[in-house]
Amino acid sequence: MKILIVDDFSTMRRIIKNLLRDLGFSNTVEADDGLTALPILQAGGIDFLVTDWNMPGMQGIDLLKAVRADEKLSNIPVLMVTAETKREQIIVAAQAGVNGYVVKPFTAATLKEKIDKIFERIDAQ
Amino acid sequence: MELNKTEQLEAARALIAAIESDNNEQAQQQLTILTQTQESALFNEVGKLTRELHESMSNFNLDSRLIDLTKNDMPNTRERLNYVITTTEAAAHKTLGFIDQTLPLASELKQTAENINESWHRFRMKEMTADEFRALSKEIEAYLPEVTNHSEQIHANLSEMMMAQGFQDLTGQVIRQVISLVEEVEDSLVQLVKIAGKHIDEQPKKDKQVDAVKAEGPQINAADNPNVMNDQDEVDDLLSSLGF
Repeated sequence: MKILIVDDFSTMRRIIKNLLRDLGFSNTVEADDGLTALPILQAGGIDFLVTDWNMPGMQGIDLLKAVRADEKLSNIPVLMVTAETKREQIIVAAQAGVNGYVVKPFTAATLKEKIDKIFERIDAQ
Repeated sequence: MELNKTEQLEAARALIAAIESDNNEQAQQQLTILTQTQESALFNEVGKLTRELHESMSNFNLDSRLIDLTKNDMPNTRERLNYVITTTEAAAHKTLGFIDQTLPLASELKQTAENINESWHRFRMKEMTADEFRALSKEIEAYLPEVTNHSEQIHANLSEMMMAQGFQDLTGQVIRQVISLVEEVEDSLVQLVKIAGKHIDEQPKKDKQVDAVKAEGPQINAADNPNVMNDQDEVDDLLSSLGF
């Protein structure tokens, strides 16, 4: 299971990376916005995408849309971890096909719960 | 009332002729015609300047962005910077609190290990009585699960300390917004100086775009805004109401 973590703040990438490692996912790669994340995704081998929303360059919501629009990537589960908490934003993310939405600041338990839920759904399919 | 060159020359010649012929009344009349031209040109110029000044002042008044900046964005920025202070403060306290909890755990493990090590050494040197050995066995029995418990607690505390570092991302987003506001204020001040210095061409006013989905970073007054989700539970509720 290879996971791509996208956040413009290196501290947050490190936090998510450490949490994922605690959950048993030690194979992670990082990108600091959508523009740098897309080539990594297109190169193949990414099984799961964790992304922030508010980033310079390409924002997380646009990255999500780009992933869903790309035939080869459209099935990758996407977890959004973000401080964006407006109703419209959450609705737009849901409509764009996000698989989970975690608001910052979050706890290790919340992240685990959402990731478990995503994989439960995938396994059920 | 403006005279063209021919009319001016005509009036001037008539003025000279009137002075030469000592016709005072005629001279006065021609003089009035000539000076009136000057006066009306001056009036026009003053009128033009007044209009420009008026336009400049109205431009200044109507520069709603500048007003918006002072009325809304500045107080908002104070709130944002206060958010940075409280968030960093909370994160620092949280981290320090977990350090306070963790240090005694590490000390306890170290202390007990040292005691056991000393006893074990005496046992290996055959300096220990049977009773002392029974006591040592009990001590070791109690110590091993304690190591497991304390290690788990230390791991949990370290994870909490790590989570507390998330403040850097949250406050970083807010500080970026403040930086862009400062840049905007700077631009507006430069415009203001230009207007005060000389009349500038009226620039089309940029309307502040209202985009509900635009990324805003952490919400500073989430509780005051019904459109904002206050926590993960509210987000989960909204998503499940969408059939998620």
